[in-house]
Amino acid sequence: MYPFGKGFNRYVPLLLLLIPFLLYVIFYFGPSVLTVIYSFTDVKNIPGSPVNFVGLDNYYDVFFSGNSGERWRSITNTLIFMVVVTVVQNGVALFIAVLINQRLRGDNFYRAVFFMPVVLGVAVVSLIWGMMFDPLSGPVNMLYEWLFGYKDMFFASFTHAFGYIIFVQIWMYMGYSMLIFLSGLQSVPKDLYEAGYIDGTTKWQSFRHITFPLIASSFTVNMLLSIIGAMSTFDIILATTDGRFNTRTMAYDVYKETFRGSLEMGLPSALSVVQFLMILVFVIVAVKQMRKREVEY
Amino acid sequence: MIKRIPALVLSGALTLSLAACGSNNTATEGNGGSKPSGEKKVVKILHWKQGNVNAAMEEINKAFEAKYPEYKVEYTTTGPDDEYKQAQRARITANDVDILADLSGMRLSPKDWTPGAKVPDWQQWIDSGLIADLSDQEFVKKWNANDIEKAGTYNDKVYAIPTGKVAMSGLFYNKQIFEDNGLKVPTTWTEFLKLCEDLKAKGITPIGVAGKDVWPLKLPVFALQAKILGGGDQQKWIEGVWKGETAFNDAEAVEVLEKMKTLQDNYMIDGFMGIDYASAPSIFATGKVAMLADGSWDAPTIATANPDLKFGYFPVPATEDAAKNASFVGKYDVTWYAAEKGPNKEGALKWLEFFSEPENYTKYVKAAGFIPTQDNISTESEFIDNELTPYLGDFELAYEIMMINRQNVGEHLAAEGVHTEYLAPGGEFKTAKELADVQQKEWEAAAPK
Repeated sequence: MYPFGKGFNRYVPLLLLLIPFLLYVIFYFGPSVLTVIYSFTDVKNIPGSPVNFVGLDNYYDVFFSGNSGERWRSITNTLIFMVVVTVVQNGVALFIAVLINQRLRGDNFYRAVFFMPVVLGVAVVSLIWGMMFDPLSGPVNMLYEWLFGYKDMFFASFTHAFGYIIFVQIWMYMGYSMLIFLSGLQSVPKDLYEAGYIDGTTKWQSFRHITFPLIASSFTVNMLLSIIGAMSTFDIILATTDGRFNTRTMAYDVYKETFRGSLEMGLPSALSVVQFLMILVFVIVAVKQMRKREVEY
Repeated sequence: MIKRIPALVLSGALTLSLAACGSNNTATEGNGGSKPSGEKKVVKILHWKQGNVNAAMEEINKAFEAKYPEYKVEYTTTGPDDEYKQAQRARITANDVDILADLSGMRLSPKDWTPGAKVPDWQQWIDSGLIADLSDQEFVKKWNANDIEKAGTYNDKVYAIPTGKVAMSGLFYNKQIFEDNGLKVPTTWTEFLKLCEDLKAKGITPIGVAGKDVWPLKLPVFALQAKILGGGDQQKWIEGVWKGETAFNDAEAVEVLEKMKTLQDNYMIDGFMGIDYASAPSIFATGKVAMLADGSWDAPTIATANPDLKFGYFPVPATEDAAKNASFVGKYDVTWYAAEKGPNKEGALKWLEFFSEPENYTKYVKAAGFIPTQDNISTESEFIDNELTPYLGDFELAYEIMMINRQNVGEHLAAEGVHTEYLAPGGEFKTAKELADVQQKEWEAAAPK
């Protein structure tokens, strides 16, 4: 009747909950709300300096000032990055997960190999690909020259650098998506396939009608992770091109304006609010769409 | 589904905290953090990593501690540039530093002809009372009055000590290659092109530059800008663009871009846009290129990369007027500020006084390879005496030090540069004029509302 006792004891669980709640408010929710408030002010990174509300000035600067051409390009880049990374990364990851799930000899080995880049971390990965893509002496350029008689500038090319960054991002996080798919695949009951086999399904049919609906929840998770991950990626850009050569994304701009721009904090706050709203829209749409497809047999 | 949306909002909110944490970020990397020993008063110095200078600083700090046993110096270094800038902001606003270095002398302060220009960090710090006024300090008199005036004075008060100058507009050249091919240092633009042609004819790549980092491309451009813009009066031209009298696409500005394009298209090493700054000195030191576009501060690095290499340094001859070409463009390097509200202002002043003693400063400037900003300092450096001094008569500040940018100016003018990397073949602009027109458009678009 009174599972937590009577009197003061009744409030102990609430008090215990209060601690994580406060931590959350102070370290996550508070700063987030502050960011939204900051985006309407001219707050500076100097303690004690006066703060004034400036209305939508910061948002105006994001979209209509001297350099908003670049901001729009950052937004376009972010969208391209998100779409390509989400589609390709999950496509490839699903394909490889299905292959590994065939009880190949040494599947543990393959799993480890494909997952390794995630463990390496951004700094190491960008170092590796920086060397691979070295325009003067890198192996990839040698290969290009041998195959096509053509040399590329890779991370120093205005037209190609962004593509290479997308490639590196997918290469790096593909193993992560693969692992989630793999765990989804392994939870599919085998008897369903047997039943299908008796009914005479082809390989494709059994994948399309048995496997795919049953791993739909892994699919949702993967899509969400890639959308959010891709939209907020700036580290790989920072480490490879540092935003030069038309490779800036919104997340990179937020980082750059916050930590390297002026002491003004209003503009970067406005930028991150815009970025947040974009992520929110995409995530809500994606969740709605994918929830529909999830089934349980 | 409905239950999920708040969860999504909250998880999305995580991305927002990236910007929020900027306001109270504390990046204290480096070798600091040691506890003060005993009763000693700690003097906290913040600087960036630069091997030769750091070594000299540690030596000076040790001598300081020996002479004044009541003090202990806590010398913290971070990575250069952005990482340093970040640490600098965090420490000065937290009043957790007594002396901090700045990347250049005071610069880019808005003038009455620059409506709406951004106020630089150092000026905001001074205006907020975070930087100590040094005007009445005896040691200020030890420094060259002109240098203090140009790089350490704001509102008629002295706030900073510029510890040396560097030349930026020159080319290192390999004396052996020049000698073997009977070439000599060019004094005019025509001679310079002829020299590059001669080198090419002999199968030698004329110029190396670290294009991947982009900023090294600015260095030769500084020479062109200083000698060409405003007919050699850069300041006049810069004021002109604010007032609408000159423009980024006027004949002089296009000539600057045009000349740099000539060099980029014909005489720079293949794939220069892929060379990063750290590996450029070795490309030059191993004789792969005859010349290297780089600042005078890199002379020690080149000497280390190949101790046997004989090299010199000459200003890029921007025009046909040999006399006008014969001087460097550069900037003030490491500049010390004392924090007004730091934990130990008195110790900071004591340290600056000690640093200003000619014998201590000599040690420092020799190690740093700077051109001294105190009079009568003998650096005993062959490079400075033979290669830099002859061209120091009319030492001018570089475009990036003088140019006050408009806020939110477009990327083709950002960071006080003219960004020749946007020229073909790497970039999208086929001709210098196209780039210049875009620059002027961006400049006008950034005009204050």
